Amino acid sequence: MISRRKALRAGAGLAALATVGAPSILHAQTKTLKITTWGGKWGEVMKATVLPAFEKEFKCTVSADQAFPFLPKLQVSPKNDPIYDVLHANSNEQWNAVVEGLVMDKITAKEVPNIADVYPYAVSEKIVGVTIFTSAIGLGYRTDKGLAKPTSWKDLADPKLAGARGGYLIPVNSLGQAHLMMLGKVYGKGLTDLDAAYKALEALKPIKLVDFTGQMEKMLLSAEVSMGVIHDSGVYRYEGANMQPVDFASPSEGVMSLEQVLNVTPGSKVKELAFAYIDYMLRPDVQKLLAEAVWYSPANKKVKLDAKYDAKLLTTPEKVATLIQPDWKWYNARREDVDARVTKILKG
Amino acid sequence: MSAAPNRRPFDAGRTAYLVLNALLLAFLLLPIAIVLVFALNPTPYISFPPVGVSLRWFEKFFGSAEFMNALWLSLWVAFVVLVLSIVIGAACALALARGNLPGRAVLTAFFMSPLMVPAILTGLALFQAYLLSGIGRPVWGLIAAHTLVAVPYVIRTTLAVLHNFDRRIEEAAAVLGASPVRVFFEVTLPLIRPGVFAGGVFAFIVSFDQFPVSLFLVVPKGETLPVVLFNYMKFDLDGAIAAASMVSILLALSVVLVLERLIGLKAYVKL
Amino acid sequence: MMTAARPSPIAWLIAPAGLLFVLFFVLPFAVMTAMSFYSGNPVTNPNAFLTTRHYERFLFDTAGIFHEALWSTLRIGLITTIVSLLIGYPLAHWMARMQSRLGHALVLMAVIAPMLTGIVVRTFAWMTILQDKGVINTTLMQWGLIEKPLPLMYNEFGTIVALVHIYVPFMVLTLTGVIGRIDERLEQAARSLGAGRIRAFVEVTLPLSLPGILAGSLLVFALSISAYVTPSLMGGTDVLTLPMLIAQQVGTSFNPNFAGALGVILLLVSLAIVVAYNRILARLAGGQGMA
Repeated sequence: MISRRKALRAGAGLAALATVGAPSILHAQTKTLKITTWGGKWGEVMKATVLPAFEKEFKCTVSADQAFPFLPKLQVSPKNDPIYDVLHANSNEQWNAVVEGLVMDKITAKEVPNIADVYPYAVSEKIVGVTIFTSAIGLGYRTDKGLAKPTSWKDLADPKLAGARGGYLIPVNSLGQAHLMMLGKVYGKGLTDLDAAYKALEALKPIKLVDFTGQMEKMLLSAEVSMGVIHDSGVYRYEGANMQPVDFASPSEGVMSLEQVLNVTPGSKVKELAFAYIDYMLRPDVQKLLAEAVWYSPANKKVKLDAKYDAKLLTTPEKVATLIQPDWKWYNARREDVDARVTKILKG
Repeated sequence: MSAAPNRRPFDAGRTAYLVLNALLLAFLLLPIAIVLVFALNPTPYISFPPVGVSLRWFEKFFGSAEFMNALWLSLWVAFVVLVLSIVIGAACALALARGNLPGRAVLTAFFMSPLMVPAILTGLALFQAYLLSGIGRPVWGLIAAHTLVAVPYVIRTTLAVLHNFDRRIEEAAAVLGASPVRVFFEVTLPLIRPGVFAGGVFAFIVSFDQFPVSLFLVVPKGETLPVVLFNYMKFDLDGAIAAASMVSILLALSVVLVLERLIGLKAYVKL
Repeated sequence: MMTAARPSPIAWLIAPAGLLFVLFFVLPFAVMTAMSFYSGNPVTNPNAFLTTRHYERFLFDTAGIFHEALWSTLRIGLITTIVSLLIGYPLAHWMARMQSRLGHALVLMAVIAPMLTGIVVRTFAWMTILQDKGVINTTLMQWGLIEKPLPLMYNEFGTIVALVHIYVPFMVLTLTGVIGRIDERLEQAARSLGAGRIRAFVEVTLPLSLPGILAGSLLVFALSISAYVTPSLMGGTDVLTLPMLIAQQVGTSFNPNFAGALGVILLLVSLAIVVAYNRILARLAGGQGMA
């Protein structure tokens, strides 16, 4: 029997040893660029290829935060010493950020030369920052359930799909929010017709709601739902490895745009480096690498993707024209009310 | 249970008792069995029933520097937190139970409060405090945060054991000539060991598995395993997380076994 | 044991915990509470002004969801606690009374393993078991016992099942220490005096384990009313608890001030319950003439 005293001493000794052996976090001697990045495949490619190449070319260190959520952390950090130099977020989040003065409201080709080569949607007035990639939000569906390929957003409301359709928890997911606005357009007067949207939402019950797209992917793959709102990347990325009969359909009324947007914090101490990073992410070779890794549509017009990607992604002006960009500024301003209303509609 | 003098051929009561417990154990273990199935299932998405057995997810997990660094960080942070929580928590419990402090009920509730606050708020509040005071996000800040949420467990379990404590054992030792310090170390501490052990197990697990508090306090390249797994899962839904989970379980269980040997759940002193 | 009028020197042992809590709990939360009275972050935003609107938003609940969220939270917490106790007590009793060291170690590991699976994977495991195409429903349908899948997931039932699964180990470990300390010979004495097994248990062991029951219940209750990851993943929109709201406000509505206000409210309600619990515990322990 080991006495408590001995155990305590051993424990203290081990703890001290552990502190010494603790993994040390790199301290940059050169300039450090603090960015945010997604995880998963995107993160892998970034960390393995894109970021090291950037660090080498620009002689700096990049510190990439993967611990989502990012905006709350940025909100808390002091404005003159922000915790990030570059914020990578979807456009709704960028709008939340700009309202609080946490990111810049306009970036032009003067700061980021490659902006001259992007599609108009990438720097439209619905965007704050610079879009580097986008996905199309449409309908994912199973091809083995006797369903015809959906041609309209209204197909989701098909009575046959009761209990077998999927959507998102609107308060927490931007695809769900985009879908809500789409319902207003499809069933009512436009993207801002919330009354029509609420009615249409009511008619979609029963519907299975999830938190994020990974769960929707799983529900489609396991046939828990036969049709669901999802972005094309979430369906296409399983090709090859995917034995399950799931396909993506772009409804005729248009697909919503899920943009990956980069922006710079006003208080950043390495602004030139930050702009150089955005410019780097818009380079055709970098765009091609990432687009093909995760099936995103590149914002740069000059990117040439391999045939199989080119066929399915939005790589021509015609295809890009089907993208509908919601007015996030408008939506964010009335979010509290929408969230409450939607929760009441969908509860029970 | 001690053997009754006349052994009955079939003890219905005891059998029911054992069956009940077996069923309850099955409830606890079923999801873990499923996780194991995921971990060995070669398809790159989670499905049931499984299509085969493969070690590729374990290979992916062990082959990933990111996972391994995170695992190592989580382990040693949990260890430091374990030691700190046991010392701080047991001391606090003794003070609460024996110190005749005024407002004991309120104080006890106070020390329990980190448990009642959603951890995401704790993480955010600490993050804010660290940034405001210029501390930034060093590892010791993470350790302090984990210790904060782990200590209540140790206090709670130790208090529970102290409440059932027969002080006459201590009085007997004192009467026999032992000094208060000796009584404390050789009688009191061994007797509260089960409570401290239970609390220690919680502390280790709470730290190792901690997600919301860590979320705000980790830095790039210095993330704990739960954070890495959660972010991985948001984008890639394959068996690697199941493999990570199995490895975590096995590792943590070994630690618990070691703790059980050292501190022990069953008190050795029985009168 | 007579109660001294003044604190004994042992009271000083509270100092390390006190220091830890003041620095890392009280101060940060004081800041957060202050923030809950502002419209924005006063440090980074010069336009932020003092306001009680966050609290008003909860109290008046024009949206109709906040009060319901609080009741949901308390209700789910209570049910989870009771079910965890019913499941945890037999296991704890078995473990505490087990003679075999190996058996004890095995059951201990089996009990602890659920705590270690990790929040994410555990939820996916439950999805596999409980969802419409999950293990339970497909098995029951195969056996012809049901025709339509039972709604076991994306509702309060699924949430409680998952929460109970996480918290039973906490209950078991808290109880087993206490039960282990109960002298078995007391029960044996009752038996030798003619009491049946069940009666001996109910009148001897159960009352003596009451401090453990209350401690374990308190722990599980506190944990389950602050849980949000599991209810979010398991409950769909059917379940909206206060912690879920708080997490939403922080992570996706980017309104930390309102989140702070909700946190203060949750904490106050919980503390009130906990203080009451502890008073009962103290009275019971004192009533037994021990400690």
